[in-house]
Amino acid sequence: MADRELGGDEITSRTLQAIAAGVAPGSSWAAYHAAARGLDALPADRVPEPLRARVAVLGSFTLEPFIPVLRIEAARAGLWLDTYLGAYGQYLHELLDPNSALYRFRPHVTFLAIDADVLWNQRWAENPPLRSEPVVGELLTPLFSGLEVFSRAGRGIVVVNDFVLPRRSTEGVNAFRSKGNFAHTVAHANKHLRLRLATRDDTFLFPMADVVAQVGRNQAFNWRTHYRGHVTWSDALMAAVAERYVGFALASIGKATKCIVLDLDNTLWGGVLGEDGPAGIALGPQWPGSEFLDFQRELLDLQRQGILLALCSKNNEDEVLAVLREHPHMLIRENSLAALRVNWEDKASNIRALAQELNIGLEHMLLIDDSPHERAWVRQQIPELRVPEVPADPSLYATWVGSLPSLVVLQQTAEDSRRTDQYRESRTREAYRASTGSVEDFLRGLGLRAEVALVNEGSMARVVQLLAKTNQFNLTTRRHDEATLRRRTGAGEWRVYTMRVADRFGDFGLTGIAIAAPGPAAWHIDSFLLSCRVIGKSVETALLARLAADAREAGASILTAEFIGSGRNQVAEPFLANHGFAAGPDGRWQRALSVPGPDWPEWIEAVRSEPVEGVSALPGVSR
Amino acid sequence: MSGGQVESTVKETLSQVLGVPAERIGSGFSAESTPEWTSLNHLMLVSQLESAFGVFFSNQEIQGLTSYDGIIAALSGRGAGA
Repeated sequence: MADRELGGDEITSRTLQAIAAGVAPGSSWAAYHAAARGLDALPADRVPEPLRARVAVLGSFTLEPFIPVLRIEAARAGLWLDTYLGAYGQYLHELLDPNSALYRFRPHVTFLAIDADVLWNQRWAENPPLRSEPVVGELLTPLFSGLEVFSRAGRGIVVVNDFVLPRRSTEGVNAFRSKGNFAHTVAHANKHLRLRLATRDDTFLFPMADVVAQVGRNQAFNWRTHYRGHVTWSDALMAAVAERYVGFALASIGKATKCIVLDLDNTLWGGVLGEDGPAGIALGPQWPGSEFLDFQRELLDLQRQGILLALCSKNNEDEVLAVLREHPHMLIRENSLAALRVNWEDKASNIRALAQELNIGLEHMLLIDDSPHERAWVRQQIPELRVPEVPADPSLYATWVGSLPSLVVLQQTAEDSRRTDQYRESRTREAYRASTGSVEDFLRGLGLRAEVALVNEGSMARVVQLLAKTNQFNLTTRRHDEATLRRRTGAGEWRVYTMRVADRFGDFGLTGIAIAAPGPAAWHIDSFLLSCRVIGKSVETALLARLAADAREAGASILTAEFIGSGRNQVAEPFLANHGFAAGPDGRWQRALSVPGPDWPEWIEAVRSEPVEGVSALPGVSR
Repeated sequence: MSGGQVESTVKETLSQVLGVPAERIGSGFSAESTPEWTSLNHLMLVSQLESAFGVFFSNQEIQGLTSYDGIIAALSGRGAGA
């Protein structure tokens, strides 16, 4: 802020993108390396926090040359990386040692790049093992311990690649019968790795075999630099891996895309509806049309992960609705869409309206539109919107959409798969609001129900997700991770309240969290947040009422709380004052519990939760 | 590739890998007087030259690629720009 007032140049994602634009994807490593010096030349302290991700790269081979490639691919996505590169071959040690530089770096995401050579033991040259199972166990156990120790400490997400056979096997045409050869060892290790990584929400499998296949195995490894200095990845593989790592990095700091805004003509189908008519557009199992069918399929896969789909098209709405409802081959239907703007207004205004309706920041939206003219216009009008170039040939759409780095969804919860339904219900709810008078009447008529409970194993993933991404109604914006929550809850230092909300139009799911630190005399509210879906429904009063009642029952006499302004949480600012808290000289807010209230709002039905164990009663909690 | 093209490609590659302005690179430019010419940069430099010129350097040749003149000589020996 001060910098801007003083006229200092702020670095924006555009600055970073301009530097990356100097290197075409697929350029030589030297070109990436040279361009990365352009990033080095920027004053790093002028890069605003929201553009930065801390990324650690550890590996079993030399990865120094990979770092500039990764930084440039991140810059292409508008992201600045602060990087940490592990010492050569020291990854196990660094994962296991809480005093290592890796831990101090506090990465948002840690990439573990390991090659299949770690599965090879010199002694097998003479005596190959008869079965690979025990060998795999022996080799992977240290890696799994390292992952476990590191993940428990809650240092962001960890991404580990699967093992790839680096070259064609010479184990012969009978190798498939054996259970002891190297190919079998690799396959077996991958199975174990997959199962292991799937046990935690914060560990991910990086599909290296898929990336190597994409590059082509003969182009993926540079054997000269491998033997000369353990630089195993070729220029092409470095670029391809970097592009996918960037997706994880974006998602790890909450910058992934939440909503894809779709054009219709020549984007979701071939041809122009207004000219060709519903029977004339190209969409169906035969070409032309099959390429659009596949593209719609990919989009629905993304939607199932929780990315919203919205329409923005210059067309007549009734004609479009008819296609959505009646076209025999349309895969994306009305109920797959969170919102639509089909009219003849300009697209930039329509996209702004969509953002407002869905309550999603424009920086979390991405436009797919085949028209270069529309793309240019919207880019100019809404600089923060993602507007990628679209292939000129629709047969490439389905492949292309999978390569967009910002479409990585890290945490999928039951709420995510229901989200499109929730936005549709909200359209109905808004229509109802328009038909009623006072706010209280409106709330009363909604038939609100709220269920406040303590966090449990079933709700933990959602709690972590909400803490990580809630920006608006959030008193302190503290991004506690799962390990911290488990530790402090387990130690009895925190009570983590969750609130589920529903009304007569539908279920909002788990949409409120309060974290209280109970003390003998005072309970302190460490965190208090509402998902934007339930802002304006007075449910925050219900959550606070329950917390205050518990504090009173435990014998506390005071509630304390803080409001920490983040620039985006203004909506939460009046909350404390409105609920009887008074600001102290140190900025802390206090409320005496001898004063009655806050009361549970009479228009919200309190749903009694089934008695569930809190997290402290769960296995795996360190005490 | 003409001799001039070989020279300009070598200069560009050296400049990109070492981060030294191309104008500073020419006869007499060597690893000894260039702190940026680290062993890792050397490894990457050799491989970038190999791909740019479609050649392969032996271990012995790599030892001699530590100056602009040495690189030009090794490439001329391969018929590049000779």
